[in-house]
Amino acid sequence: MKVSYNELQGLCRKAFSGIGFEEGDAADAADMVAWMQCHGLHGVEQLNRGLDYLLAEDPEALTRVIYQDGDLAVLDGQGLSVLRSISLATELGFAKARARGLSVVKIRRCHNRQLIMGYLSRLAGRGMNITAFWRNAQVPLTEQVVGFRAGHTTPEVRVYSVRDVPEENEPNDGITLVMANHVELLPSLDPDHDLDLLAHHPESELLACRELALKEGIVVDDAIWARLKTLAHRILVESSDASRGGAGAGVNDND
Amino acid sequence: MTDTESLAAAPLGLRPADEVMQLERLGSLHATRLSFVRSLVRQMARQRWQISRERFDLDANGNGTAIYRLQTPHGRYHGVMFAQPLDDARRSDRVIAEAWDVTFGMVEGDVDDSLLAQMAANVPLQEAGRQHPRVLVLSRANKSLRNFAHFVEALSRGEQPDPAWLTRVGYLYRTTAVYGNGKFGIADFARLLDNPDFRGPFSAQMAGVYLLRHFSIEQVEHLAACRSPSTACPLATELRRYLGIGNSTGLGMAPFLINHPQLIAQWIAQRETALTLALRQVPEEADRVRLIALTRRALTHFEETVTEDAEQSERNAATVAALPDVLTWLSSVPLEPDLWHQLVEWSARALPLEAQELINTLLIELYPDQVDALEDRMEVEENLDLEPDMPLIRLRQLIETHYGWALAHDYASREGSYWFWYRSAEKEEPRLGVRHEEPGAEKEMPLAIGPRVARTHQQVCAFLEAHPRATVVDFLLEHPRHKRSRATHPDAGQGALWRYPRQPLAS
Repeated sequence: MKVSYNELQGLCRKAFSGIGFEEGDAADAADMVAWMQCHGLHGVEQLNRGLDYLLAEDPEALTRVIYQDGDLAVLDGQGLSVLRSISLATELGFAKARARGLSVVKIRRCHNRQLIMGYLSRLAGRGMNITAFWRNAQVPLTEQVVGFRAGHTTPEVRVYSVRDVPEENEPNDGITLVMANHVELLPSLDPDHDLDLLAHHPESELLACRELALKEGIVVDDAIWARLKTLAHRILVESSDASRGGAGAGVNDND
Repeated sequence: MTDTESLAAAPLGLRPADEVMQLERLGSLHATRLSFVRSLVRQMARQRWQISRERFDLDANGNGTAIYRLQTPHGRYHGVMFAQPLDDARRSDRVIAEAWDVTFGMVEGDVDDSLLAQMAANVPLQEAGRQHPRVLVLSRANKSLRNFAHFVEALSRGEQPDPAWLTRVGYLYRTTAVYGNGKFGIADFARLLDNPDFRGPFSAQMAGVYLLRHFSIEQVEHLAACRSPSTACPLATELRRYLGIGNSTGLGMAPFLINHPQLIAQWIAQRETALTLALRQVPEEADRVRLIALTRRALTHFEETVTEDAEQSERNAATVAALPDVLTWLSSVPLEPDLWHQLVEWSARALPLEAQELINTLLIELYPDQVDALEDRMEVEENLDLEPDMPLIRLRQLIETHYGWALAHDYASREGSYWFWYRSAEKEEPRLGVRHEEPGAEKEMPLAIGPRVARTHQQVCAFLEAHPRATVVDFLLEHPRHKRSRATHPDAGQGALWRYPRQPLAS
């Protein structure tokens, strides 16, 4: 089915509230999904993949700061989806970069990482240069680099596979964010390395997707939409004859 | 730099927010020449917008399809109306209604057969349909049955309806919802941001409602002609101009006010800027004469106004009682350069609130050359982003400076937290419940700002005890629940200053 951007954002916000997100988290998470979807980056599908995890997560679990100093922070995402409160970790990086010129934030143990792009877009819009980097634990190993230019809310995205990787046992479930207040950080691939570019989404392509989405509407899968509606229904209060008196005009209006 | 630009850049001389944003005063504001309908009508006239009838397939009962073309210098739009029979038992203005006398959409571009078929299948269903992404506005309306019957009866006899009917109920149709911005699949507002016709807030909605008004006139004329082809006459121009469109519940306003503080602040700021610009003008005798004429006209209008709301009737009566004193004052006070300041100061001492604000509105009315440019400043890029590096002590100061009213309230008492808003499962209608009596408080909509600001303040103070140099983001990482509390946003001092009654409202 076809939906509008505002409709997608609104339903996601209600669905996240239905899952138990706090209001601010629900709004931020909805923005992240809708942003991804309208830029052609399959936000709804990404959400659907992580929805069962989200439903099973402990709503009281918080992203914890393991270490921080003036321009560096390491956080434990507690295995949660980035949709739940990860925005504060990125805001921490933003604050440090504003204060110190450049910051590095490492968020360990998180999933649904693609969706973080939607929140980074807001930080870039506030004038921050950002590079986000993460690895996907698959064979062959893939890396994703997302670069935002300060003031631009649309990034350039590259996904490539790395064939020649030194052996190591670090889990690939984190995100590294580098933010710079004054210096552009746009990454480019090094031709000397043995890399296979799997996907490249330049800023212009993503902007064109957004324009088309606003013009033609956004296609979403009926089943996922129905599932989100079911979750959104959790925030509604069953109606009764008494509650019908609690708002608006009379039930019958013949004047 | 023009007066408007310089004032907007440094709005010195505006009334303080604490005064303007009091709910009682906000509720006393009258429509001004900056109101959206006035701005739209000026634009339509200035650019000579053309409305033409493309299709008018109505039966003798007025039911069927009508299509109007709206041509502007920049684009073409179509209003597509579906009028249908409606059983009286189903005629409800509530959001929970499922059928209406007329449903319609305003479409960007042309309407071909395939789009018309899609709209015919979905627009009458409103929320239950899937609407086309080229539909800019989706709406529905119910008839004033009494006015309809009277108008058709009179026109069919070749007579004009009694204008007194319109002073009681000023419309043939009242809308029960006017949807924009992506609702049920229609176009997002973002689609209109580069559209010179409808980039202003609510201008597309107002244009849609204007087309409904046009349809209502043509529909009664059609019904009169069907009833008595030999004697029927069209509605007189004066009555056409007097005719408006009603609006029903306005329930969506409650969440809208809370969720769009920057937009509301922008609108109020433009109105206040207009007032300040008007007050800066040195009046000439012709201005005084014009203000007297406008005051007389307003007096007539208020004398004619009929409302079922008892409190508003009292306020209208107080305004009517006060305006003769205003006329006397205006006629007797010497014409001095600061006459308008004298008038406003006198009115603040001597007049009821609605009369004070009426004078402000009329002063704005005097100076189109100075204030009309402000209509282009009604938009704002809404953004409630955090300022994560703000020192937490600064946030505490902002809360204490601007939210004293919220901190002073007793939220623990039954009366102090009496109402709660929730969404009903019945078409997601927003409803008010009584806490401790009605179910659903655990699903309360996050509209009550006062208690949230107070809770945030309490925890901010506690956090500062242990971390006096903390920033906002340090606090939020420990207390993420406060992330979207209005108080944790840097515009806390600007956009959200109105006060909320937390006690039982007078019945």
